[in-house]
Amino acid sequence: MKKILVLLLLAVFGIYLADVLFSLEFGKQFFTDGVKDFYLTKGPLDLKVSNTITAIIVNFRGFDTLGEVTVLFLATTAMGGILYKKRHKVGARSVLFPSSQIVMAGSKILFPAIILLGIYVFVHGHLTPGGGFQGGTIIATGFLLMLLAYQDYTVSHKVLTIVESLAGITFVVIGLMGLIKGSTFLENFMPVGTLNNLFSGGLIPIIYIVVGFKVGAELTGLIYTALHEKD
Amino acid sequence: MVGSPILFVAVPLLAAFLIPLFGFIWKELVRIVPGIVLLYLLILSVSLYIQVLQDGTIVEQIGGWAPPWGINLVFSPFTGLLTTLMLFLAFIIWLYSYRFKNVDFEPSKKYFILLLMLVTGSIGIVLTGDIFNQFVFIEIMSISGYALTAFYTGRDSAEASFKYLIMGSLSSMFLLLAIILIYSQLGTLNMADIASKAHLMKPEFRVLALVFFIVGMGIEAEIFPLNGWAPDAYSQAPGPIGAAFSGIVVKAGIYSIIRVTFTLFDVEGTMQFLVLMGMITLVVAEMAAIKQDKIKRMLAYSSIGQMGLVLVAFGIGTEEGVFAALFLMVNHALVKPLLFLSASYLVFNSTEKSIRELNGLGKYLPLTSFLFALGAIAIVGMPPLSGFWAKWSMLTAAANSNMILIIGLVLLVSVVEIVYYFRVVNRIYFFKKEEDVEPKKPTINAMVSMIVLGILIVTIGFYPDLITSYLHEASESLLDKGKYIQDVLSAGQSIIQ
Amino acid sequence: MDQISFDISIVEYGFFASAILVILVGLYGALVKKSLIKIVIGLSILESGVNLLLITIGYIQGGTAPVFSPQLLKDMPLTLENIKALGNEMVDPVPQALVLTAIVIGFGVTAVALSLVIRLYRHHHTLVIDEIKNLKW
Repeated sequence: MKKILVLLLLAVFGIYLADVLFSLEFGKQFFTDGVKDFYLTKGPLDLKVSNTITAIIVNFRGFDTLGEVTVLFLATTAMGGILYKKRHKVGARSVLFPSSQIVMAGSKILFPAIILLGIYVFVHGHLTPGGGFQGGTIIATGFLLMLLAYQDYTVSHKVLTIVESLAGITFVVIGLMGLIKGSTFLENFMPVGTLNNLFSGGLIPIIYIVVGFKVGAELTGLIYTALHEKD
Repeated sequence: MVGSPILFVAVPLLAAFLIPLFGFIWKELVRIVPGIVLLYLLILSVSLYIQVLQDGTIVEQIGGWAPPWGINLVFSPFTGLLTTLMLFLAFIIWLYSYRFKNVDFEPSKKYFILLLMLVTGSIGIVLTGDIFNQFVFIEIMSISGYALTAFYTGRDSAEASFKYLIMGSLSSMFLLLAIILIYSQLGTLNMADIASKAHLMKPEFRVLALVFFIVGMGIEAEIFPLNGWAPDAYSQAPGPIGAAFSGIVVKAGIYSIIRVTFTLFDVEGTMQFLVLMGMITLVVAEMAAIKQDKIKRMLAYSSIGQMGLVLVAFGIGTEEGVFAALFLMVNHALVKPLLFLSASYLVFNSTEKSIRELNGLGKYLPLTSFLFALGAIAIVGMPPLSGFWAKWSMLTAAANSNMILIIGLVLLVSVVEIVYYFRVVNRIYFFKKEEDVEPKKPTINAMVSMIVLGILIVTIGFYPDLITSYLHEASESLLDKGKYIQDVLSAGQSIIQ
Repeated sequence: MDQISFDISIVEYGFFASAILVILVGLYGALVKKSLIKIVIGLSILESGVNLLLITIGYIQGGTAPVFSPQLLKDMPLTLENIKALGNEMVDPVPQALVLTAIVIGFGVTAVALSLVIRLYRHHHTLVIDEIKNLKW
């Protein structure tokens, strides 16, 4: 009975939403003077960042990214708080079966390559598609691979905490330096260089590298906490 | 220049990132630092507010880009008032919970980080001038809220938190849908820009976006069909967090609904819709409150009812109505935390947390019981406390707009409130104590924080003129939509030419 | 640069329709399913649907990725006209930036939700929502 009711409700909702959205023509721009034209010209010309999305995320709407990083930080804090037990034992893993020799050897070879790829992605975030979040996620997958392959692989919680705290502090301090050196928070006060060089964009690559470290440490921490959760 | 509004977000974030590191150095720092940060921000907020009243709204740009393109923070008489109020409450709640979970270090570290972020998220919602940024802050606030609700591992708190999380994330998706609809039509995310271009939107988009917005924000503001999480979360969360929810989080939710309906869109009939939703919320919540046998659930339903009252007052739409709504908000923000804080000491050692267990505690915890009774008198709106003036201004506003139905409803609901609050007060003072209940004396810091709230309620009750001028400034600043748009966008217009 | 063009209206509306369909599937999962894990999965699907819709809004027919790569610039001088001409050929970058933020936030919420599920399982030794109801729902 509940199912039918929900289905009916969803059908009405879907038809109404579709009716409204279908009045737009797909593939056209629906507005005349949006903010996107400003971003598409100022990004390459003033900031010398070829990836406009990175320019938006880190500079034009950098405040959102600070919030986003905070959300991840909160997620790790929340997960630790929710799963906290007195006399917490770290050690025994929920995934019990041992992995085969091939997986163990293979992941040892792959691990440095994955980390390197992650670093590449977040260092080149302002030139090519990619950036701190993507790179950090790739690094975390490297740690996930190692944790799955080796049962006794451990990551120091203290190191992870220090990395993510320091990265967060750096982000906020860079923002506050913008307030001191320029006039506004997160202002790009460094020389921007030339378009499509690795060292260009002023603060943007630095912030994205910081974000990469932070995201990598946080996701690894989340995976680690979840894997070591045992009833 | 005393400081800039950005510090309200940047400093607590910095502190939150630093707290885990401080934990390695000296464990007591974890408790002290949030208090220092909140006190500093409170002082900053008061001094900025004084400055704003003289020199007009401060619009803070971020990243060096003027408003339609960059994100901006708006510190106007209205948002400044709310920020100051929230920071004051946050400081009181920090003081109250200073010795909280004294035994375990790890949970107390997380508790203070999450409390700080709950406050930061709420302040961000109030200050920001960008709808997507507001969405980010809402998520910061609600994730801290979920974690804090599930803080006690022994109780059913995980269930309450899961319920809150499901409703919260469903509604935040509606918020995102509203943002998509607005962006697809206007190509901008800045509130002032949206407000100045709103007439360009197709009407069906405008209505749908408004509905999605109200659904998305209504969860935090506890509007009727979306408030199912509140009683469980309030009763399962630690006591100070219940106070923080009712004093801080709910105010942020109400603020965002008000910003959207008053500034962003001019849709025909929105005000009537607010009145209707507020009335339904009010009636349903008060009817539910009278049936509760657990004290915190009763307080939670009463809190929902008060928010309904605030919405009705906003829905009157006149300057007087907005003034009354703000007065009600301030009153509720001072009184409801006092009730939560004192009630959580009254039921400290009981297992059921039911009203029955409050019997006769007036003799054992005289000051706490007195403060609870004071809060009860203030919230039902009896003279001479602050609640009376709030309800009085609401009744005058309704009378001047010829809304007889509202007057009748408010009076009726006040009677219901008197019944269920005085039932509790009666039990505290005139019943015999239950055998198995062991009263727990509040710690000094908790007592101080409750007494400060009590003194404020009495002071405002006797001298309402102390705050009315600020409330008038705030309501004028909320209603003057043109000035808001001009304040925010004037910096950008000079750049583009 | 290859121009992708659709001339059948079904395909055009298909993008909106599929995004809405994904949203509906997610809502159905979150509202009807009895298993806690399935509810969380429903929420994730709902998030994906909304993100898909957001990306669809930003698409411009035949647009390229908003990256000013050396291949695209081809030794053109960096003048306002050139950049504007190139920028007009690109899809809207703003929704893509918003989607990145929304994905990360969705991830955070999912992590918190799953840890709550672990807590609930630890207490009740079941994932069926009907057997957990200690509180009033």
